[in-house]
Amino acid sequence: MLCAGPLAVLAADVNLLPPEQAFRFSARALDARTLEARFAIADGYYLYRDKLKFAVTPEAAILGSPDLPAGKVKTDEFFGKVETYRGTLVVKLPVSGVAAGQTVVLAADSQGCADVGVCYPPTRQKLTLALPAPGSGPGTLVDATPPKKTWFK
Amino acid sequence: MSAHIKLGRYKSTAKWAALAGSALLALAAGLYFGLEGPQNSAAPLMGLTLPDVDGKDQRLDQWKGKVLVVNFWATWCEPCRKEMPEFVKAQARFSGKGLQFVGIAIDQPDKIRQFARELNLNYPSLVGGYGALELSKGLGNRVMALPFTVIVNRNGEIAYTQMGPLNSVKLDLILTELISNAT
Repeated sequence: MLCAGPLAVLAADVNLLPPEQAFRFSARALDARTLEARFAIADGYYLYRDKLKFAVTPEAAILGSPDLPAGKVKTDEFFGKVETYRGTLVVKLPVSGVAAGQTVVLAADSQGCADVGVCYPPTRQKLTLALPAPGSGPGTLVDATPPKKTWFK
Repeated sequence: MSAHIKLGRYKSTAKWAALAGSALLALAAGLYFGLEGPQNSAAPLMGLTLPDVDGKDQRLDQWKGKVLVVNFWATWCEPCRKEMPEFVKAQARFSGKGLQFVGIAIDQPDKIRQFARELNLNYPSLVGGYGALELSKGLGNRVMALPFTVIVNRNGEIAYTQMGPLNSVKLDLILTELISNAT
């Protein structure tokens, strides 16, 4: 019986996904003024709503407030009410200051955990999108390029 | 007859599964209690110097010769916070017997201080960053997640590493054994 705990954790460790695979980030440009960010959250993992942050470059590009859907509310003893996401998360992001045909780099910071009882530090994922010309329809979905991690200082 | 053979095969499979299970158990135990060998040296960890919440540098080798439990954690990690009351209890119970817990928090000093106060944390928590997480990767924290705990014996060897929360009964067994193994 004493072995059940550590063996279970050993199995969990073997199967634990790196954060960029647990929380797969992709995005597309719906039109020249709207980006659509997506997180494909693996089964058994979840992301914190208030830890999601987006940014775009070049400097001239301005990102509006992300249209974050409501998450599942749970009460955290230390942080109070927190909201979490599971499954597929789709976030619309208004963008301005860049013209159709230009490319932008979209960065997403996220932080989440696995149900087996581990959490990942904040992770930054990036991808490059071309803003479609008017009337040409949404751009193709682009997967995040190899990840860069960030840490609290 | 066919059913009998099937049953027999099943039994035999079950027997092999049990044997394989025991082998796995032994392997797991070997991995976790791999007490021998220079590869278990905690030197890279013990050589670490990190600031405490007051900004004062602390060397981990100041606890050399003790049974040292190094717990990588953060306030933003709920499973980390949940297991820490057990660490506080263990520290209180074994402090006179040469046990020292040390937290390495991948976090901001004010958050660490606030949580330490709420929990009446009775052991130091140092402030870690990218370097500390990288170091934990070298100790077996493959995906650099938290909590991650390393237990160092009195000889400065890594006796146990744990990805994810430590079962409190298991912790008690390990600490009792390591503390009784005086050098």
